[in-house]
Amino acid sequence: MIFMVRRTLFAVAAVMVAFLLICGCTGTTTDQTPVEKQQLRIATTTSLDDTKLLAHLTPIFEEKYNAEVLIVSAGTGKALEYGQRGDVDVMMVHDRAREDTFIADGYGINRRVFAYNYFVLVGPESDPAGVANMAPEAAFTAIREKGTAGDANVIFVSRGDASGTHSKEQSLWKAAGFNYTTEVKGSGDWYQEAGTGMGATLEMANEKEAYTLSDIGTFLAYKGDLDLVPIVDEGDSLLNVYCAMQINPAKYPDINSTVAKDWINFLISDEIQQEIASFGVDKYGQPLFYAAQDDWEKIGVTEAEVKDPIA
Amino acid sequence: MYEIIEGFLEAARLIVTLDPDVIAISVRSIIISLTATVLASLVAVPLGAAIYFGTFPGRKSLINLIQTLYSLPTVVVGLLIFLLISRVGPFGFMRLLFTPTAMVIAQTILVLPIMTGLTISALSGVDPVIRDTLRSLGATRLQFLANIMREAKFALLATVAIGFGRAISEVGAAILVGGNIMASSFASSTRVLTTAISLETSMGNISESIALGIILLAIALAVNLVITTIQHR
Amino acid sequence: MIELEGVRKQFDEKIVLDGVVGRIERGEIFAVIGPSGSGKSTLLRLIDLLDTPTGGAIRVNGADIHAGKSLAIQRMMGMVFQKPAVFNTTVAENIAVGLRFRGAREAAIREKVEEALEMVDLSGYGDRRARTLSGGEMQRVALARAMVIEPEILLMDEPTANLDPVSVATIEDLVVRINRDLGTTVLISTHDMYQGQRLAHRLGVLMNGVFAQVGTPREVFTLPASREVARFVGIENIVDGVVVGENGATAVDAGGVRVRVAAPLAPGERVSLCIRSEDLRIAPADAAKAPPGKNALPGTVASIVPRGPFSRVTVDCGFALSSVISWKRVDDLDLREGSSVTVSFAPESVHAVRRE
Repeated sequence: MIFMVRRTLFAVAAVMVAFLLICGCTGTTTDQTPVEKQQLRIATTTSLDDTKLLAHLTPIFEEKYNAEVLIVSAGTGKALEYGQRGDVDVMMVHDRAREDTFIADGYGINRRVFAYNYFVLVGPESDPAGVANMAPEAAFTAIREKGTAGDANVIFVSRGDASGTHSKEQSLWKAAGFNYTTEVKGSGDWYQEAGTGMGATLEMANEKEAYTLSDIGTFLAYKGDLDLVPIVDEGDSLLNVYCAMQINPAKYPDINSTVAKDWINFLISDEIQQEIASFGVDKYGQPLFYAAQDDWEKIGVTEAEVKDPIA
Repeated sequence: MYEIIEGFLEAARLIVTLDPDVIAISVRSIIISLTATVLASLVAVPLGAAIYFGTFPGRKSLINLIQTLYSLPTVVVGLLIFLLISRVGPFGFMRLLFTPTAMVIAQTILVLPIMTGLTISALSGVDPVIRDTLRSLGATRLQFLANIMREAKFALLATVAIGFGRAISEVGAAILVGGNIMASSFASSTRVLTTAISLETSMGNISESIALGIILLAIALAVNLVITTIQHR
Repeated sequence: MIELEGVRKQFDEKIVLDGVVGRIERGEIFAVIGPSGSGKSTLLRLIDLLDTPTGGAIRVNGADIHAGKSLAIQRMMGMVFQKPAVFNTTVAENIAVGLRFRGAREAAIREKVEEALEMVDLSGYGDRRARTLSGGEMQRVALARAMVIEPEILLMDEPTANLDPVSVATIEDLVVRINRDLGTTVLISTHDMYQGQRLAHRLGVLMNGVFAQVGTPREVFTLPASREVARFVGIENIVDGVVVGENGATAVDAGGVRVRVAAPLAPGERVSLCIRSEDLRIAPADAAKAPPGKNALPGTVASIVPRGPFSRVTVDCGFALSSVISWKRVDDLDLREGSSVTVSFAPESVHAVRRE
């Protein structure tokens, strides 16, 4: 019996030692020791992760910079929260207005735009609201009209999770002349909030034969599993701009700013810009993202923001 | 229906071919939850014993409290740990958020009440005559405790199994403090069976979800099988 | 050896022991008998340091055992409980537990366990799982477990209460042998007064929280100290009355019927008369007069109740007197309900106890 107790204790001790070693490794890699791998923590909007763009880019970066990339996928709102709390080194988001606030509040620095694409209003092929090829704002108005009138076939599924896509959707309602809080949200069963990531929201809209606003990248990545089709995909207001920015080391001194800079510079480098532009073409027949590098005028940002490496 | 059958076939393929991602996620799940269970046992069993054998005011209320905490919602534990270990939280300097360590901490705290409570039940289950016999045979305090534990070992083993089952099957805390990271190194990743199922389902990868679900189920069954086998020996 | 000095034990409101006084001598078998709930187990548990008395003191070899509560005192004693309980391990390991507690060497443990197994006639059972044994076998394991540590005092709390008759006999035999061969002082509690009588050198009758009587089995069974003790030890005929003088001899007036007794008693005292049924003789009313000096009370048969090969005949002599006689004798005497008979018994067969 005593022998058994000893053996059990030994096993427990062994497990604990093994675990401490694992923890030890993770813990110490954040130190600036040259021999060990640098860890880079990124909070990203779901679309960059769900499309596998990051899964495609990180191995190249890890190889080149001898670093390890840890990606936490969340909506833009949550990603900003992580950034604000100093839990990550870099954020990759797509919500210009909130990014500006974030930077103005001193949490973010060195924003660089590395990619863009377009949002797309997707819905069932039957298009029950009859909004195909309308201007985005007009289409939104028509959907709301049919929905509030009680047409049971017209449903709009919203991300409802304070993500960048959700922000874009809200700004489109606003542009169409509605007060989002009082006239859209909670105005009837036609408007439903999913409260999850883009992929899950598309799945939900598919099940309900509903309309939803999606970034084109995620939609294309999921298209094979969906019966939804693009209903409205043209209009400047559907522009979707992705940026990466560093969390301000002045706020959190032990943030890993070197490797964060490396990552952002890596994203806007010629080589990676080409990778982004060609990503998914072989699989989907069209790119999921456009490189930001040469289109800064089109997307309305400064040249420096797409081209100048961070010093 | 077709989707489910297809899912199961793909799941079988992933398991049979030892898909590296699936294996890594499964092994990580087991390591994290097992560590949490071992740590929780190291606290819960002595604590349970102290409460059971102790005489102090408020003992009854304490046991009631512990039993209430059985149903501690996992996301609440997750949120609490998140707030504590986030960079701006009191333990932020340790940089534990989004690490397996954070998940271990969350799961340890999650299973602590139920394991403590079940330890108390396990010890209560020991025949009072056995207790008297031990004292009558001149056991020292330590010898007494060791032998009571030994008498209760199957119930204690079941306690550990239940703790492990709860730890490995919870998703709320794991995703909040772990972040569901799939990094290039095993030790930095925090994707476990439950968070992976949640992610894969949301991404429409039903077959991966089913495969991971089957593995999770198999682990739970295996644990129970081991327990029953030992108990019937 | 063991001195009980006004031992009291109270559980919440309930007083279980109310000042037990007594002395158990080294090397004797002392049986605590008494009805269920009289506190026998409590007394043994107090002696084994499993409970703390509310008042009074228990001394072993002169030392108050509850004052120090040292392990050394506890380790002088071994206890067997009413409910056979074994540890969930092998028989040999069960028996070894006490030795392991005392840090005995492995070789010594093996040897002593083997001896103990032999003593309780369970040789070859060492490797069996103890939980698979029968109740009687488990209780023998419990006895071996208590004895292997060579206690000076063996406490047994109703050790045979839940066992079959064969196991009871085996355990009783073991107790006698242990006491005789090893000189172990044995304190056994039992609700079975005959078991007490079979085993014990002395009995203590525990009633209402105190020893109502302490004495040899013979004393207790023939000269009970009180009406309650008499009732408990199975004396069927207990008659209440008042002492009166009668021609220089002592007699007791029981509702108008005079009973002569041998013991000297002061007139006016209120007493209970205890008469064992086997000392009664029932004869036809017209039979020859009883020898002089004997009590001969006329009466009528009130009931005849069969009891095994005997019949219990109750006669109303002004008060009821019962005797157990064979069927044949019932037939010979032609007894039936309502028959007139004479019940005779010697004054020496009457044991008088004072009533409060």
